[in-house]
Amino acid sequence: MKNTGIKLLENGRRLDGRSPKDMRSIKIIPNPIKNAGGSAYMEWGKNKVVAAVYGPSEALPRHTANPDKAVIKCRYMMAPFSSEEGHGRVGMNRRAIEISKVTAEVFENVVILDQFPGTEINIYVEVLQSDGGTRAAGITCAAVAMALSGIPMKDLPYAISVGKVGEDIILDLDKIEDNYSDADMPVAILPRTDSVALLQMDGTMSKTQFDTAMQMVLDAGKIISKLQKDALMSQYTEQGKKYG
Amino acid sequence: MKRIVVPGEMVDDKPLHLLDAFIEENKTYATVISVYDDEKKMLTPLEGLWYPRKEEVVVGVIEEAKLNTYTVQLNAPYKGIIISKYTESAMNTGDMIEASVKELDKTGTVVLSRPRVLNGGKLLKIRPAKVHRLIGKSNTMLNQISQGTGTTMKVGMNGVVWIRGGDIDLASEAVFRVQEEAHVSGLTERINKMVGSPVQVQK
Repeated sequence: MKNTGIKLLENGRRLDGRSPKDMRSIKIIPNPIKNAGGSAYMEWGKNKVVAAVYGPSEALPRHTANPDKAVIKCRYMMAPFSSEEGHGRVGMNRRAIEISKVTAEVFENVVILDQFPGTEINIYVEVLQSDGGTRAAGITCAAVAMALSGIPMKDLPYAISVGKVGEDIILDLDKIEDNYSDADMPVAILPRTDSVALLQMDGTMSKTQFDTAMQMVLDAGKIISKLQKDALMSQYTEQGKKYG
Repeated sequence: MKRIVVPGEMVDDKPLHLLDAFIEENKTYATVISVYDDEKKMLTPLEGLWYPRKEEVVVGVIEEAKLNTYTVQLNAPYKGIIISKYTESAMNTGDMIEASVKELDKTGTVVLSRPRVLNGGKLLKIRPAKVHRLIGKSNTMLNQISQGTGTTMKVGMNGVVWIRGGDIDLASEAVFRVQEEAHVSGLTERINKMVGSPVQVQK
């Protein structure tokens, strides 16, 4: 372990009392921003994330346009007040640029881009409060926003992180675990085919550990996918309940 | 049996050629949030973008008046153009117009014809997937709102609504209510109660 002072796993319990396979609670609210094409607000444990999708619209500046398909542009930002350390007071830092890029690439795999040649689709992810795993929360939240905007997609991606403490694999790392664990690995999955759209890893894992980690991601994904679907449907079922 | 499907969810285990769906390995999957009717094999999108089709009526705003063309903003990724040669009178930047789609350019431009300037009034933007509900079967919903509030309305298939005269506030409230409750049955009665006019069903 990098830091011997902190015991992340003791008697099969993590610092916040979860077992290694437990996920934090997730709450998704559809369409909080009426001006956007589609938007979603998500609370994932202590993470608070807002995602909004605009477009497709004319790609600007013109040289960024692709005459064959739409271009996806993403802006992931952490609010200056989102965590104890400073974030984003002077605009995008290296980390924000990287996460924006990988988020956009996840959606390039699912959005049917060739229907809108020469246009751009903008995804904005704002992290209001962070507690580890915000890129996973951002992707999961942006997927709901994208679906609500009516842009045709082949799948509804979700993302979650897994990590390693000693020889144990833990699911859904929070900030302390993220900083002091032996490995952490955010994964984005396209659930229809269970294919991987994003995989980044910090640290090392053996092959068996990796397999266990992926299995945990896929198991947790069933719950996340259901929550995403429920959030999308609540938009319509609640109106129905109002009038019987 | 009707059910709501989300993007990537299987609609049917047989290959069906539906508008907002795609086929993979002989199965049909939805691409947007829609309602699927198992018996009628019908997929009705709840959200969606506007795809221009020939002869469709659109409402937009003149963005730029050039020497021989006008460009029109259509609340869509596509820009509309009108060739001045075919217009009866000159139009100015900022004019609200109603026009029909003549043809689609390969570059994504929509060529419009038969423009008509809409004087006064205001524009509302609604989600394009709800336009059909706002018009209703043989214009019932639209007639009901415009007669009940004493307004003149034009609805573009691109999701732009033009309203003039009468009780504009009530009419726009009704339009947005149709947008929100488009999928809930009994909407006609609720709108009727709201704008207060008898439904005139044309047979």
